[in-house]
Amino acid sequence: MRKGISRFIREPRTIILIILVMISLAAISTLGIPQGLDLKGGSIIQIQLEKPVDPATMNTITSVLDKRLNIFGVKDVKVRASGNQNVIIEIAGVKPEEVARIVGSPGKFEAKIDNKTVLTGADIVSVQSPIIRGNQWEVPFRISPDGAKRFAEAAEGKAGAPVDMYLDDRLITSPEISPDVAAGKPVTDVAITGAESTRESAELKAKEVETLLKSGSLPVKVKIVGVSSVSAELGGEFTKGAIIAGLIAIIAIIIILIARYRTPVLVLPIFFTTLAELILILGVAAIIRWNIDLAAIAGILAAIGTGVDDQIIITDEVLGEEKVKRRRRMFRIREAFFIIFASAGTLIAAMLPLAYVGFSRGATGIGMLAGFAFTTVLGVLIGVFITRPVYAKFMEYIIG
Amino acid sequence: MKIKLPESYKLLIIIPLIITISSLGILLSHGLEESVDLKGGSIAELTLEKRMDQTELKTIIQEKLKIKDVNVVSMKGNEATVQMGSDIQVDEFTRALEGTAKVKSYRSVGPILGKEAMKQIYWTVGFAFLFMSITVLITFRNLIPSLAVIMAAASDIIIALGGMSLFKIPLSLASIGAILMLIGYSVDTDILLTTRLLKQRKGKITERAIGAIKTGLTMSGSAIASMSALYIVTVFIIPEAEVLSNIAAVLIIGLSADILTTWLMNLGILRWYLEAKS
Repeated sequence: MRKGISRFIREPRTIILIILVMISLAAISTLGIPQGLDLKGGSIIQIQLEKPVDPATMNTITSVLDKRLNIFGVKDVKVRASGNQNVIIEIAGVKPEEVARIVGSPGKFEAKIDNKTVLTGADIVSVQSPIIRGNQWEVPFRISPDGAKRFAEAAEGKAGAPVDMYLDDRLITSPEISPDVAAGKPVTDVAITGAESTRESAELKAKEVETLLKSGSLPVKVKIVGVSSVSAELGGEFTKGAIIAGLIAIIAIIIILIARYRTPVLVLPIFFTTLAELILILGVAAIIRWNIDLAAIAGILAAIGTGVDDQIIITDEVLGEEKVKRRRRMFRIREAFFIIFASAGTLIAAMLPLAYVGFSRGATGIGMLAGFAFTTVLGVLIGVFITRPVYAKFMEYIIG
Repeated sequence: MKIKLPESYKLLIIIPLIITISSLGILLSHGLEESVDLKGGSIAELTLEKRMDQTELKTIIQEKLKIKDVNVVSMKGNEATVQMGSDIQVDEFTRALEGTAKVKSYRSVGPILGKEAMKQIYWTVGFAFLFMSITVLITFRNLIPSLAVIMAAASDIIIALGGMSLFKIPLSLASIGAILMLIGYSVDTDILLTTRLLKQRKGKITERAIGAIKTGLTMSGSAIASMSALYIVTVFIIPEAEVLSNIAAVLIIGLSADILTTWLMNLGILRWYLEAKS
């Protein structure tokens, strides 16, 4: 037995496992485990475009949305394309209703004289910070010399006529054409003004207009088709619940194993192997910054579940026949690994389509379960290549 | 553990077959409920700011949002879950409930998105099953034993779907996750059985089968026990974590079905095959 232990500890696989577990523990404690939106609280907003677009247009759309959200002070925001007609926005710890409003507007700017468009969003060069006076607001912006010239031509001889400024086809303000401009002098500095009932709403409105002008317009109409948000408080409950569920699941498994094998000498190694798998999965997640969400937790449970199964297979193969010769035992462990690899193969095969959808489309539709597929595959790979072979060596040297 | 294998194993193959066919019957006659993810609509978890009963809350939401299709799914103390038939924007909903309740979580899915998700489900499940089958065929390179494994897996899936229909577990992204998991996971015991019977040379078929049964039942037992633990915890402690309780429930049904399909059907077919061969 003692000889077996020293051989087991000197086994390269064992040493590698111990090193990897230590690296994982270090990564988890320094980098932390990145949590998904449903655990730390946050929102996912799913947007559908009016029609499918080419990659270049999609790029414009995602960057406009990203810019808008950043201008609006939304931090921790991820905007990504999903296919050629959908965009997914993930935000941490912000109320989704504000985001929904700012994202939902196409941001199409038009200035019209006599119902003829003379300026569009494309003419805007820069936008200054809004000026608030009481409940009055003003957003000054600069237009290109080209646009100014066009504007002056259209305004010539029309002093006092209104310039209707539309944002998303909504009339925002109608300033009068000044005598200067009507005389044909191009002006590049203009402003949109308005009034709200309170100072607070004036500030909000000005910020909205500023954002829309700054970020430019979206080339196509967008529609919010799905919102999913979880408060931080509920997220915390999820985390707590998942940990309790995990602990009770482990206890349930231990009871079954003790009932079957009636010896802690076998149950303890299975417990430690399982623990090592859990640490390695979380370690990888910490290093590659893979968000652990509820679906990912389910995947971890699944991977660990197959891990326990595999260890039962190894145990039964080794204990199957009392006093077998060493060569025969090697053969049996090889057979156990045939079963283990085949089982791992079928599970990974079944998860591949889901992982594919998750990676290509992001967190929309069934892609919400990408975490499930990813952690299952990761856990199974870690299990069959790293932890379960060590368990087999343990069985071979110490129990067998 | 003493196990004796019955001689009339061919007859026993019928039991899982009957269960599979009746599951299919339940599935086709009752259909599956669809969750908000798939049929579209909105679902919200609320913390109520004042005491009220289900009808009061329902009326408030109906009046403020001017919609008819409102359903208070559950209410425990000041926690409530509300489901609405249409996809209401979260800002509208939060504003409507100001002073009544705080929104803890909110999900709205438009009908287009739901349809898209449904299409993805057919493809993902179809390909998962296909890839699993290919893996099994490559593993054993032997048609009849491979088909027996694939058939057992198909039965497990059908029984799980039948169970979902019977126990009113809605078809959702979460339960589909469980079905995918089941496709890959339920064949573990079948692979164990097939390997032990086809690859081991020592001992009689029945002896090898009994060894496999012992190992397989321990595997299924620990998996079902851990999923039951997960189910109980999520239902009683975090009812909001429907993702987890749905996955657990579907796996419990599927893995229980797997015990029958593996040891009555798959083992029966294999014994038949091996006896016919020798």
